[in-house]
Amino acid sequence: MKTGFRQSMAWAHGWAGLVTGWLLFAIFLTGTLSFYRHDITAWMRPEWRPAPAIDRATAADRAEARMQVIGTDANRWLIDLPDGRDRAAHLAVWRDAGHAPRFQREEFDPAADAPVVARRTYGGDFLYYFHFDLQMPSVWGRLLVGLAAVIMLALIVSGVIVHIRIFKDFFTFRPQKGGQRAWLDAHNALGVLALPYHLMITYTGLVTLMFLYLPWGVDLAYRGDRAAFHAEAALAQPAPRPAGRPAPLVPLGPLIIRAEARWGVPAGRIDVYRPNDAAAIVRIHAADSSGLAHRRHQIAFDGTTGAIVAIEDGRPAGILRAAMYGLHLGRFAGPGLRLLYFIGGIAGTAMIATGLVLWLVKRRPRRQRVVEGLNVGAMAGLVIAIAAFFWANRLLPAGLADRADIEAAVFFASWALAAVHGACRPHLRAWVEQLGLAAVLYAALPLVNAATSGRHLGYSLVQGDWPMAGFDLAALATGLILAALARQLGRR
Amino acid sequence: MLAMIGLAYAGLAALCLGMDRHHRQVVGRGIKTRATLTLRLAGTTILALSFAAAIASDGWVFGPVAWCGGLTAAALALVFLLPYRPRLAMALGPVGLLIAALAA
Repeated sequence: MKTGFRQSMAWAHGWAGLVTGWLLFAIFLTGTLSFYRHDITAWMRPEWRPAPAIDRATAADRAEARMQVIGTDANRWLIDLPDGRDRAAHLAVWRDAGHAPRFQREEFDPAADAPVVARRTYGGDFLYYFHFDLQMPSVWGRLLVGLAAVIMLALIVSGVIVHIRIFKDFFTFRPQKGGQRAWLDAHNALGVLALPYHLMITYTGLVTLMFLYLPWGVDLAYRGDRAAFHAEAALAQPAPRPAGRPAPLVPLGPLIIRAEARWGVPAGRIDVYRPNDAAAIVRIHAADSSGLAHRRHQIAFDGTTGAIVAIEDGRPAGILRAAMYGLHLGRFAGPGLRLLYFIGGIAGTAMIATGLVLWLVKRRPRRQRVVEGLNVGAMAGLVIAIAAFFWANRLLPAGLADRADIEAAVFFASWALAAVHGACRPHLRAWVEQLGLAAVLYAALPLVNAATSGRHLGYSLVQGDWPMAGFDLAALATGLILAALARQLGRR
Repeated sequence: MLAMIGLAYAGLAALCLGMDRHHRQVVGRGIKTRATLTLRLAGTTILALSFAAAIASDGWVFGPVAWCGGLTAAALALVFLLPYRPRLAMALGPVGLLIAALAA
């Protein structure tokens, strides 16, 4: 029975891994890049050079002044203050029905006291949203990603059961044996050595969207009133009814200072309900980067007097959820820990890739044309598509209408082309050609940057401009690794 | 953080060298029981020190997170270097200790 159990686990691991592997590869790769979301955005709009950072209270005051220009008729303002990594303040405005536009956003540079002027691009946010939304309408993408994550958890558990020799084979990698042995060793090593990361990131990923995936407990306990649950759990508050009497909004800067003095950590988000109305409420949240628990602390102030209305420091269940949320995003991470997150993510991506290759290698010499084509298209194709996205960002004219959407279209079009190529060409040739193309595309990105922005490596390294230099160096390293892979495969 | 990763690599290298298969891979012959025990004890102790370094630099909230990441990164480096340059992979263990000593 023992072998029977492990054999059935191996069967399930192989097939579940195959059908979700292509999607999981995309989720892992784009998610891993999202750890550098703001640095990618910085590279994608090189003409914007943020002025030296200013203190958060002044930034809040300037953002408030800007809001009084663009959002006087709004029912809600949301201000995300800049931090060490994202130097722009993100302003969002909602209006009641009858006022247009209902929703509006702007990026604002508090240090320059002016809106951010740069080419239109989704930047790193494109990869970040693709990671859990897949650019699908409504919640379909999120549901699909959630399903893939549940299967990923099952794959991790079944993988451990199938492998079993966790400690005996802990340091085992035998590339000289070649073929199935080498791929299996690599797959096992990438899985076992980064197991804490794989378990953490998959489980906490499900937690980030838990109310979408499992709403029924909340529905039962709150008789379907989800808004009541969200308010009680301090996740989202209903907007107060407007008093209908205008009243000047309090200066936000002093509220930031008071909130930070209470918490001892930086503030990050200001939510203003009914600005310039006598019923105004200002809710200040601690910064994402301020602790393990994501947005744990909140204080609500009366928007006309500045008096404290409510204080939320979280309750145990909420803090546990917030901590898992925070662990997934890793926004508290400094450069070192962020790099470790990135390494974990790359290990996960490579584990999935080796697993998909292994499925084919195991079945040799029988050929599986469909899987072969999809492997190339889903993996090499995505790697190419991301590079094409960066190229489009620099080569499309800066003033082009809808250029952000055209960048995204270039991403999907290159992915589709690569998938067609992968399906048509002989398998090994398809890999060599696509990896070779990807190598050239990545390795040349520093040159594209130099040709189109003037913030080339020679300049950025001297200036200590780390987002710019880091992106260029990472692209170069990616190009070299892909070239080595293409060369290795080309020798066969 | 550098000290933590240096110690993690050194500890893992010691545990690795304490296994017969990898001892053969590096030294060319099997391992004696006494050496196994010594290396395992040394490896475990160094890994414990690595954890202590993580807590010392990042505290009890972020320290364990960083330690898991550092352990993974060090293990990946060791395992994927070992088949290509076994002696270098082992020599980097003492280098890790040195880095930890300098960073501490």
